[in-house]
Amino acid sequence: MKTLSKSEIQFLLLKLHSLTGIIPIGLFLVFHLGFNSLRTVGVQQYQFGIDLINNMPFLLWIEVLCIHIPILFHSFMGFYVAYQGKYNAFRYAYARNWMYTLQRITGGVVFLFLIYHVGTTLFPKMMEGKHLYEASPFLIGIMNEQMATWSGRLIYLVGILSATFHFANGLWGFCISWGLLIGKDAQRNAGIAFMFMGLILTLWGVATMAAFALDPVSVEPVFSGGTFL
Amino acid sequence: MSEIVLVKIKRRENPQSAPYWETFELPNKPFANVISVLQDIQRNPVNIGGVRVKPVVWDCNCLEEVCGSCTMVINGRVRQACAALIDSLEKPVTLEPMSKFPAVRDLQVDRSRMFRDLQQAHAWIDIDGTHDIGEGPVIDQDTRHKAYELSQCMTCGCCLESCPQYTLDNNFLGPAVFSQARYFNMHPTGAMHKDKRLEPLIKEGGIANCGNAQNCAAVCPKHIPLTESIAEIGRQTTFYLLKKLFTE
Ligand code: HEM
Ligand code: SF4
Ligand code: SF4
Ligand code: FES
Repeated sequence: MKTLSKSEIQFLLLKLHSLTGIIPIGLFLVFHLGFNSLRTVGVQQYQFGIDLINNMPFLLWIEVLCIHIPILFHSFMGFYVAYQGKYNAFRYAYARNWMYTLQRITGGVVFLFLIYHVGTTLFPKMMEGKHLYEASPFLIGIMNEQMATWSGRLIYLVGILSATFHFANGLWGFCISWGLLIGKDAQRNAGIAFMFMGLILTLWGVATMAAFALDPVSVEPVFSGGTFL
Repeated sequence: MSEIVLVKIKRRENPQSAPYWETFELPNKPFANVISVLQDIQRNPVNIGGVRVKPVVWDCNCLEEVCGSCTMVINGRVRQACAALIDSLEKPVTLEPMSKFPAVRDLQVDRSRMFRDLQQAHAWIDIDGTHDIGEGPVIDQDTRHKAYELSQCMTCGCCLESCPQYTLDNNFLGPAVFSQARYFNMHPTGAMHKDKRLEPLIKEGGIANCGNAQNCAAVCPKHIPLTESIAEIGRQTTFYLLKKLFTE
């Protein structure tokens, strides 16, 4: 096999950055907001969903390989790309140029939010060894606490909005970069459609926040036992 | 129409020296454009302080917005000086050289990178060599219309000046080159060297460096559908990459 030059590797890394934005990170975002929206139906349903996830075999491996490493890679490349741009949205104040600029800003905001979010959920869960059926009561307790204060709600609102915008606008860029959206009108129409999708994702997240904030009930583990792999 | 025009010009002696601003005051003439004002300054290079200075240097050629050589930043926006009528501009008029190309002197910049990059992308159609490659096939009307749109690029550099991904010190090929690669790839004879044009686009500085800000299409004086070209090249490179990675 022919070895790749540095220049070809740079191109492939950028392509991989673009791809990881959708698969797996974008898909994860949709599933994450979707699963959590079970809380709007009831805390039992929510606990059922979280229990399901936390009883998956090899959960930690799946999380690290399919979520953490891709996010770290996408973020690292994202900062590298963002650092190289020569921003001019004030001088050439077109809507698209602002979206380009916001894509980079929201990427940074999502990164900060993820440090906070993972640092206050997954990290203490692992530290205190709350696995299997123990995880959901522990995590529900944390979310109740975070959604009880306006500062917590604000952090989550900014985090969710940044992530959904970044994903919706990113999906649009992805479709152009890979040649799925070619015509000018197609690009415009899809841009509008993707923003609606982003809006729905945002509402999903905000509804979940509201459910935690308005009805902060705690739960006990449904069962005990099992082995954490 | 006001009686006088104030023109603020960002000048520099040579590529290494620091830029400085100099203001000129001129009587306004009917139908004056930025080039005619620069010609007036050249005839009488006296600045607003009454000091006789070296005449301002700029580039121009066709004077009808088809050669691209007079491209500069006028009132903060990149465009052709020959097509910028003084009456339609806010006063004072500020003139700056483009910032994404190496400075030469005053309003003159060196755009040769664009031409080198077109060469890299094989932006031409090969003609007969030692052997006759035969008559080209007939091209349908729709393709010809599209090709005509793309053919109007005058390598002016407006798209690159406004592109946030194109800088003085990176090696991004930029939208004009992508559009020209598309243009020659869509010609049946040109398509014989399709892969040769796509090859440099899947390297550092290639199509993956575009961030879809779409400023390029917004400022292009020839209204070339650059964002369509970028997406079309995105598609061609996607297939080319899959072919290279999985079938070769
Ligand atoms: C919730 C997590 C995230 C998701 C769902 C996500 C998704 C996406 C998607 C779908 C794209 C479009 C890819 C393309 O243009 O082809 C993208 C682009 C981008 N992402 Fe992310 N991303 C996330 C986190 C981040 C983070 C933490 C950063 C760090 C700064 C970041 C920086 C960027 C940048 C700079 C681009 C633009 C690339 C370009 O246009 O060339 N992203 N992202
Ligand atoms: S694409 Fe348009 S803006 Fe760019 S160099 Fe060609 S004519 Fe100028
Ligand atoms: S779409 Fe934006 S980043 Fe891409 S070439 Fe045009 S101006 Fe540059
Ligand atoms: S002189 Fe040719 S475009 Fe202005």
